[in-house]
Amino acid sequence: MLLDMQEIRKSFNAGPVLHGVDFQLERGQIHALVGHNGAGKSTLMKTLGGNFADYGGRIRIDGEEVVLHSPKQALAKGVAMIYQDFSLIPDLSVADNIGLGRDPRGKLPGLISHSALRKRSAEEAEAVGIRLPMDTPVRQLGVAEQQLTEIVRACSQNARILVMDEPTARLAPAEREHLFDVMRQMARSRGVGIIYISHFLEEIRQVCDVVTVMRDGRIVETGAASAYSVPDLARLLVGHDDIVAATANATARPSSGKPLLEIEGLAVAGRPPVDLAIGAGEIVGIAGLIGSGRTRLARAIIGDVAASGRIRLAGRDLPRRTPQRSADAGLVMVPEDRKVSGLALASSIEENMAATALAPRLSRFGIIRAREKRALVESLIAKFGIRPPDRKRAVGTLSGGNAQKVLVARAVAARPKAMILDQPTAGVDVGAKGELHKLVELSAAEGAAILLISDDLDEILALSHRVAIMVGGRVKEVLPREGLDRASLLAAISQGAPE
Amino acid sequence: MSLSRADTGRRRLTLPAGVAWSNYALLAIFVVLVVVFCLTVPYFATWANFANVLQRNSVIGIVACGMLLMIILGGFDLSVGAVGAATSVVAAALIVHVSMPFGIVAALALGLGVGLINGFFIAKIGINPFVTTLATQVLVTGIMFVGTAAQPVYGVPESFTWLGLGRIGPIPVPTIIFAAVAILTWAILRFTTFGHHVYIVGGNKLAARLAGINVDRVTILTYGLGGLFAGIAGVVLLGQTNIGQPASAADWPLTAIAAVVVGGVPLSGGVGKVGGAVLGTLLLGVIANALNLLGVSPFWQPAVTGAVILVAVGIDSYQRRRLERR
Repeated sequence: MLLDMQEIRKSFNAGPVLHGVDFQLERGQIHALVGHNGAGKSTLMKTLGGNFADYGGRIRIDGEEVVLHSPKQALAKGVAMIYQDFSLIPDLSVADNIGLGRDPRGKLPGLISHSALRKRSAEEAEAVGIRLPMDTPVRQLGVAEQQLTEIVRACSQNARILVMDEPTARLAPAEREHLFDVMRQMARSRGVGIIYISHFLEEIRQVCDVVTVMRDGRIVETGAASAYSVPDLARLLVGHDDIVAATANATARPSSGKPLLEIEGLAVAGRPPVDLAIGAGEIVGIAGLIGSGRTRLARAIIGDVAASGRIRLAGRDLPRRTPQRSADAGLVMVPEDRKVSGLALASSIEENMAATALAPRLSRFGIIRAREKRALVESLIAKFGIRPPDRKRAVGTLSGGNAQKVLVARAVAARPKAMILDQPTAGVDVGAKGELHKLVELSAAEGAAILLISDDLDEILALSHRVAIMVGGRVKEVLPREGLDRASLLAAISQGAPE
Repeated sequence: MSLSRADTGRRRLTLPAGVAWSNYALLAIFVVLVVVFCLTVPYFATWANFANVLQRNSVIGIVACGMLLMIILGGFDLSVGAVGAATSVVAAALIVHVSMPFGIVAALALGLGVGLINGFFIAKIGINPFVTTLATQVLVTGIMFVGTAAQPVYGVPESFTWLGLGRIGPIPVPTIIFAAVAILTWAILRFTTFGHHVYIVGGNKLAARLAGINVDRVTILTYGLGGLFAGIAGVVLLGQTNIGQPASAADWPLTAIAAVVVGGVPLSGGVGKVGGAVLGTLLLGVIANALNLLGVSPFWQPAVTGAVILVAVGIDSYQRRRLERR
């Protein structure tokens, strides 16, 4: 037994979050830990990572009883955590990041040998079968390569237990497959035990040996991953049978007349021009690999990134766009990565939700119309089912799903004619995802033109009326939803090498 | 990952609640301190002394209100001292040579102008606030010394001192101006779109931009207000000294920042309330006053101020960190 956690308890301000959890992990095992947001899986893993000095229960690693009261202690016992938000130093090279904190001695004390460091890091990457550009600053890497850098670093610190929290949330399908290969190799050939947290139930059957389901701070079930179907897992997660993962097919395509949002020859510096037209009530998905230029395209459309070409909204030109002018004209974006580019975490639900609508809709001569703002925010909290329904609460204290709802609600609050959604459900639990999907469909039904960027192919298939395939910064083709399935979509975005 | 379904109905101590708690803690510390001083320090508990404290600290309080805005925005302003000195010199010169209303208006316009220039360089050119305001501070000071040949400007009519030393009823005029500026700041932050945008921009600049907020305009306007408030403070200062002194106000930037951070406002931006800045100003003022009355050497005062900053901000930061680690 590599890891044996027994009777783990943890409370926050007398509110128990873990009610005596038993969790076991074998050597070489890939063990999925799944649960709704708030089920306690992150708390359990933070306990293992040494984030709490006051947990209850016993932890054994390789039979040895250990006390994990600080991240340093956990690391010393071979527990490495790979979080969604990476802990790399952006301006240092890959080699430097891998060797962080383990500087090889130079000729004199206090000096380090960069050549030795680089060589060692390259060897360590090779040992786990990962190829990385050693001299490139991490800042310039894509998400997938940053993640691989973290994995190499963890392995080079002799990690025996690797905890991966939503590692695929921001990966494109091909990179996902590569990550799975790396995980399998580490488990099989090095005997590393991997605890894998994911909201993608399909992946769990694909890569994991064992799955443990948590709900309300308790383990609900543990068993061989192959024994559960996706609907089985979804049922266990939510605890009742009526909610199943949102995989409903898209509603019939609207009989739209003129296009509402027209993109003509939009070219970001050095990229080929993009043409796309979206009708009222239509949802167009954009599928592509990481680095295929989807987010840059989105930012160029609202005017945050300089680009040539034209954007027309409801027949009117939007010249010299800035995000502000676009928003005022009725073109808004839900940015990817809510923590980095989405929300002001210290501000309240109300302030975040009203941010876009405030100037154009909720004020007169710069003075806020407080009653209307409050009514709008209250109604959106109810409509989106945000919990807790407390408009004064800081967004940073919300769970991922609820924070994401605030972000989408912010766009909806502005009553946009057209919306661009960039990864609207990344890192969100199944229940919240289904709710968000319904709300997106509702916005479309009310007549908004919607551009949906997502790495989740099922999401694209579930919501889109048409799917634009992006390869190397260019819209390669636009396919109707009918006749597409995961396999054909994956094939379409993987053809042709990204730049 | 903090709430399970079972406990959504129950309020928990969370980040905003923690911040509110520390505000009350500051208020409690302030009240306890005043009570202790009243009981132990001779002459402290007299209206004459309170009025004196208010009058002396109103000027820095006005500056602190502007500093608060810039700190919520995630920046700060080192040029407020230079602006204060320059406005008081310009006001003095223009009052002597032209007229009093023109002198006041021109001085305030100067403050606003320097602030807008700060904002322009920070927002449009992208120089960070430290470097920008350091540069304008030195620049304004330099020009002022050249213009005055480092000589004070005399000759302001005696009646002008009403602004700095006068009273309306029992309350000093500068304190009334301070209160007006504080209420204005509160109203801006609470009732205007601009004020709400300041919080969002301070909390996450990229998110604010993508949400359709004109970050540049908010930034320029915020620094403009900071400069304007420093200009108001400069004019009030002239009312207290009656001399346009180029070498005055050098300690304003750091004292105003100290007042704001002692008031529980983190330099990281995105949060902060006017009450904090006012309380921070008064707390530092009351302590300095008590030391004065006790006959402690004035050289001790900076040392005590430094200790107060470490303790007050230390408690606040420690609380915050404990809350965040959960």
